[in-house]
Amino acid sequence: MDTLVARYSRPAYQQENQFDDIEEYDYAADSVSGPSLKFAMPPVAHPSSWLRAATDDRSNPHCPIKIAHGTTTLAFRFQGGIIVATDSRATAGNWIASQTVKKVIEINSDLLGTMAGGAADCQYWLAWLGMQCRLHELRHKRRISVAAASKILANLVYQYKGMGLSMGTMCAGVTKEEGPALYYIDSDGTRLAGNLFCVGSGQTFAYGVLDAEYRYDLTVEEALELGSRSILAATHRDAYSGGFINLYHVKESGWEKHGFTDTNPVFWKTKLEKAEFSNVTSDFSEEV
Amino acid sequence: MPGFDFSNYNRNAALHARGVPLPKATSTGTTIVGCIYDGGVVIAADTRATSGPIVADKNCEKLHYISSNIWCAGAGTAADTEFTTSLISSQLELHSLSTGRKPRVVTCMTLLKQHLFRYQGHIGAYLVVAGVDPTGTHLFTVHAHGSTDKLPYVTMGSGSLAAMSVFETQWKAHLTQDEAVKLCADAIESGIWNDLGSGSNVDVAIITPEKTILKRNYIKPNERTQKLKSYVFPKGTTAVLNEKIIRKQDIGNFVTIHDLAEEAPAGGDKMEVDT
Amino acid sequence: MSMFSQNPLMNGPNYSFSETPRVGAPEGAREHRFDPYTDNGGSTLAIAGADFTIMAGDTRLTSGYSINSRFHRKVFKIGGTTTDQHDAHLVLSVVGFAADGEALMERVDAMCKMYRYRHGRPISVKACAQRLSTILYNKRFFPYYAYAILGGLDEEGKGAVYSYDPVGSYEREQCRAGGAAASLIMPFLDNQVNFKNQFIPGSGEGHALQERERRPLTRQEVEVLVKDAFDGAVERHIEVGDGLQMMVITNKGIEEIILPLKRD
Repeated sequence: MDTLVARYSRPAYQQENQFDDIEEYDYAADSVSGPSLKFAMPPVAHPSSWLRAATDDRSNPHCPIKIAHGTTTLAFRFQGGIIVATDSRATAGNWIASQTVKKVIEINSDLLGTMAGGAADCQYWLAWLGMQCRLHELRHKRRISVAAASKILANLVYQYKGMGLSMGTMCAGVTKEEGPALYYIDSDGTRLAGNLFCVGSGQTFAYGVLDAEYRYDLTVEEALELGSRSILAATHRDAYSGGFINLYHVKESGWEKHGFTDTNPVFWKTKLEKAEFSNVTSDFSEEV
Repeated sequence: MPGFDFSNYNRNAALHARGVPLPKATSTGTTIVGCIYDGGVVIAADTRATSGPIVADKNCEKLHYISSNIWCAGAGTAADTEFTTSLISSQLELHSLSTGRKPRVVTCMTLLKQHLFRYQGHIGAYLVVAGVDPTGTHLFTVHAHGSTDKLPYVTMGSGSLAAMSVFETQWKAHLTQDEAVKLCADAIESGIWNDLGSGSNVDVAIITPEKTILKRNYIKPNERTQKLKSYVFPKGTTAVLNEKIIRKQDIGNFVTIHDLAEEAPAGGDKMEVDT
Repeated sequence: MSMFSQNPLMNGPNYSFSETPRVGAPEGAREHRFDPYTDNGGSTLAIAGADFTIMAGDTRLTSGYSINSRFHRKVFKIGGTTTDQHDAHLVLSVVGFAADGEALMERVDAMCKMYRYRHGRPISVKACAQRLSTILYNKRFFPYYAYAILGGLDEEGKGAVYSYDPVGSYEREQCRAGGAAASLIMPFLDNQVNFKNQFIPGSGEGHALQERERRPLTRQEVEVLVKDAFDGAVERHIEVGDGLQMMVITNKGIEEIILPLKRD
């Protein structure tokens, strides 16, 4: 175990060179299979400009590679811990690539991360963060704080600033020292602590519901319902959000999953039983 | 004002500059050919129309009528070939009426090239013009920018190389009608198999001094394969929240109704439907 | 602060790409275009069953309006001990740029072989799926232009399909179509495999109408769906055709089936 810790315990900027000596045998490098910091680069003077031309479907709609993007995510602190909720739609341009994406990433049994922006960027770097958190536990014989974990990620993405990473993520965890702790980190390098965040193209719609109903002293049941209802509002108005509502509750004892629920029946239930969404009607207007 | 309406041009150019994609025109990324033989001329075309990589029409008509003794095969933008040929067809008919003579193929070709040259290639019509008139049998190609060729055998469209390879290896002088038809059909088939822009069936038109024979779907080498399973859904599979029935007598409030005596044949082919 | 949003309709400084500074390049000087990708067309499809997985792809290789090959494989057995892969237990399909796809397949295959050599047992689909993700992400800044789908049987013997984007985001799914005709095939699969938008006739009025229950499909049913999906794609997509290559993965091994498709 000590050798393992030693191997990975160098700071990130040193780790970058750790595979240099064995690069000749590519397959040997293959066997050290955890997330690494070694990336192949295109042989051009300005890799980021090139990458943008090849993969950014907004600046160049005809780009050959369409990268899957994630969409509405939210998390908020309350007296009973933290609620994390997301939709599950992945889009690549106008194409719905998937309706069943897991946008809540289980970093470990205590920490959750969320996924907005490049799906691969979030999946990879949150898995990498999970590795760093485990190494922290091994080194210091105690759980990492949410503040420290989020800072590791923020520092990492800051190193890659301008290279084209695209992620907007939230780290949520409850520790004895911090209580419920929630951080927002994005690929620009922003890191913010806060009570409540919504991230993604549907953020405004989610904020609309969440801000109106949010109180710190929400009961667990109310909080779960509010998280779910906010995502529902976002999936209703944002074309890039949809699919299923993925709901989590983070407590000091770890996180707890509260279902992966299809939005469609939830929508109709909300409409019919609570008389909300009165904008939607199946009645034929006689005037038309 | 006659001609094109440019009133949306500046708006569309501005939108396009901001990254709004222009609408995709249906193009007949096509194989078309023509070949003179002793006693007439044959033109042929495939029947695939595409919109990008999607097949828009599996059995479209690319052989256009100009006059009874002149026909045109069109490649390029579908709408442009259609409207250009019908416009020139009208002009030629009026010209023929005022001169009291049968229309000539050179006249048709000249009208086409002058029309297309005026629009500097923006009208994307690539045509094979063929016909028989009192001066003899003629075969031309007309490009969108206005240039023309006069040759004994011609090919155009995205499958032109595949088709030309057939002509270059098999064409000889003094073909019979049957040989010319076979050669043209083979050239089109070469395009159908080897060019992704061409496909489906072969249409052929044979123009002789006496008459024109249009052989629609002369060869059909690409019949649709039968589905292995029935995909008919039982009635009631689709969820319905509400329905409203408008009876025939009530439709009269909105539109005029004409009763058709029997099943009147509507224009175009019957749609393929799974059973 | 720029809050994160990727709604394409929102302009302004809210997306990290649009803020990328154009460094160095002097005004007017243009770098020679570095264009390492070609779209070689084609389509792939994978469906997981209760105790089998079927992976399929057409065998046409195109560039522009030309057909470069009428028999080029997109679906590969990987992780066997020999070059003929007779004892392979995983299947990888790649579509997009053929050269990148093949390079990716060879790397994953070599990785599976190394795993077998080091651990003395074949790699699990789950482990291979995770590793394939990191292999793709290692080229995040110079991506493989390849849409990969990995198929096999999981630890419980159930069919498993993992699908990827070009930079390694992945997910386990019941079924997935990839490549040129993905947008034609995927809606068909949603309807016929997951019974999306199908309700039981007469099971209720309005909102009480019940969705058609999902059930695992048999191997015969899936084979029929795959063939019909490709026949449909061939009719309407010019880059799909020539041949259909199917790999059926069961606990008895991998069976390869090759069928003709229309060639126009």
